[in-house]
Amino acid sequence: MNAIKAALRNPPLLTLILVVLVWIIAGLTLRGFGAYGHLRYLLELSAVIGIVAAGQTLVILMGGIDLSVGAIITVTAILLPLISPEADPTGLVGIVLTLGIATGIGLLNGAGAAYLKVPPIIMTLAMATFLQGMLVIIAGGSAVSVTNAAVIWLGQARPFEVPAGVLLWVVVSIVMLIIIHRMPVGARFLALGANPLAARLSGVSVGRNTLLVFALSGFFAGLAGILILGMNRQGYVGIGAPYLLTSIAAVVLGGTSILGGRGTYAGTIPGAILLVTTTALITVVNASPGWRSIMFGSLILGLLLISGREARR
Amino acid sequence: MTVTRVPANLYTAVQRRRNRGLTGLYLVVAAFLVVYAILFPGLFTIGGFSKFTQNWFPLALVTMAQALMMLNGGISLAIGPLVSLGAVIAAVTMGGPLGVLGGLLAVSAAGLFIGAATGGIVAYLRLPAIIVTLAGSFIITGIALLLLPRPGGYIPDWFSDLLAGHTPVAFGLLVLFLIGWKVYLATPLGIGIYAAGNNPVGAYRSGVPVERVKVFAFALSGLLAALAGLFVAAQTGSGDPVIGTPFTLNSIAGAVLGGVAFLGGRGTMRGVICGSLLLSVMINVMFFLGFPPVAQYVAQGLIIVGAVAVPQLTSQWRAKP
Repeated sequence: MNAIKAALRNPPLLTLILVVLVWIIAGLTLRGFGAYGHLRYLLELSAVIGIVAAGQTLVILMGGIDLSVGAIITVTAILLPLISPEADPTGLVGIVLTLGIATGIGLLNGAGAAYLKVPPIIMTLAMATFLQGMLVIIAGGSAVSVTNAAVIWLGQARPFEVPAGVLLWVVVSIVMLIIIHRMPVGARFLALGANPLAARLSGVSVGRNTLLVFALSGFFAGLAGILILGMNRQGYVGIGAPYLLTSIAAVVLGGTSILGGRGTYAGTIPGAILLVTTTALITVVNASPGWRSIMFGSLILGLLLISGREARR
Repeated sequence: MTVTRVPANLYTAVQRRRNRGLTGLYLVVAAFLVVYAILFPGLFTIGGFSKFTQNWFPLALVTMAQALMMLNGGISLAIGPLVSLGAVIAAVTMGGPLGVLGGLLAVSAAGLFIGAATGGIVAYLRLPAIIVTLAGSFIITGIALLLLPRPGGYIPDWFSDLLAGHTPVAFGLLVLFLIGWKVYLATPLGIGIYAAGNNPVGAYRSGVPVERVKVFAFALSGLLAALAGLFVAAQTGSGDPVIGTPFTLNSIAGAVLGGVAFLGGRGTMRGVICGSLLLSVMINVMFFLGFPPVAQYVAQGLIIVGAVAVPQLTSQWRAKP
């Protein structure tokens, strides 16, 4: 009984238990769900959401929200094929350049939030709108195919039967957990999210940490964009759009408070898997797009009731 | 005998204070309107004025809907889907046995119900508005897709002509909505929006029914968004399950331009109307200057940041010396 109570009070654990339960039940009742290939595919899709949600987790922990991650994904997926130099057979130069641009966009978000005092939600929304326009002007409306060797490897290769994207996600997860729980900078993010005024008076630099957190969010969104490009082999306007809301949903499902200051990336990981599994199950049910959308929304709402409640006044 | 003396000009004093932060916005809107009138002198004919206000009208409604949410200290990501749903319900029901009146009632009822349900979940189950409306946007989009999987449906021609023809009916309706808002503000539930948005605990202790205020405000917000959908359906002559999508971002942009604060309780409807007018005029002016349609997004992004950053920075500079 006490164990159950402890689990209910620990949202990341609760989400993890939910994922395990759903996987067991679906594996026993649906033919093909429990096959290694299918589970690996689910994890591959979760990896993308998990990596986008890494940056989103940091921003939300600090009390902000990043509405530009979808646009940044699209920017990286379209720019990478355009700016990868022909002379470089490995394709790593293109990846570094693209990640630099993504991080730069994040830095701009941070600068707006920190120095122009624009609320993050507005700043990143404006950035998303801006990027959306710029992309069509720069790249036109057509899709671009990727020839970059490293990107294709990332999207398609399976060292030791594990997709490279999942391995990348494991690395990102370890880095994230170390940043949040083992480094002073993580403690500063949490402090700023819990009470910005108290954190500032205790000597935490609001400007520098805001810049850092949005730069990281831009970086992770760029990384996810590259992974998506590798899996899709094509970049087009709108490729990143579905990942904006799912990244926020994954963070919130993982028990991180949308108001900031409370939460962990350890919750976002099962949150991302839960989200992808839910979508996969809804697809299996073979309903019309309308019903699928309704089920998806209702499930998110239901899960939120379990893990996303805010404290009583 | 001493009587608490209320200064006769209290009302004007309050109004002047509320207008103070908006002077810049009024000037920018006026400047854009002048440019627009020079580019397009037809604005001063009845037909030109009607067309212009018809393009502005749905944006004004959704911006008001979003402002209602933001005054409450929340934000809605479901405005666009609600507009779509309003359009779809109108297109599906107006050809039915109850006709236009039935369609109008069905759209209003759906908007009120969905808004109230969202408000109930936010107020009583204590979930943040942003994620409830995020989940809600999927559900609402799903319902719209179920009702009308692909664009179609039927809107009577006379109804389209009435709302979106050559008469400024839309503008008249907007004035009516604004008067309605003024009346609502005079009721306890209306003024409670500001109190509960600004300081929920303080408002609760002073006897404001915070939860009920929220549910009513959300319901009105849903109604406005659904009616905007009805108007869009009348404009296009049919329903489309995804036609409302751009309205979510535009409504936030308009409300922010209009000076509605994100933390709730601060902002005025007149600012909101001006904010939506600015967006609408800006789009028209850029069209007439021959910019590609996407340049509108670039400009919109820059203007939103500018609109929030400039007042912040000037107030900082003013505070320094």
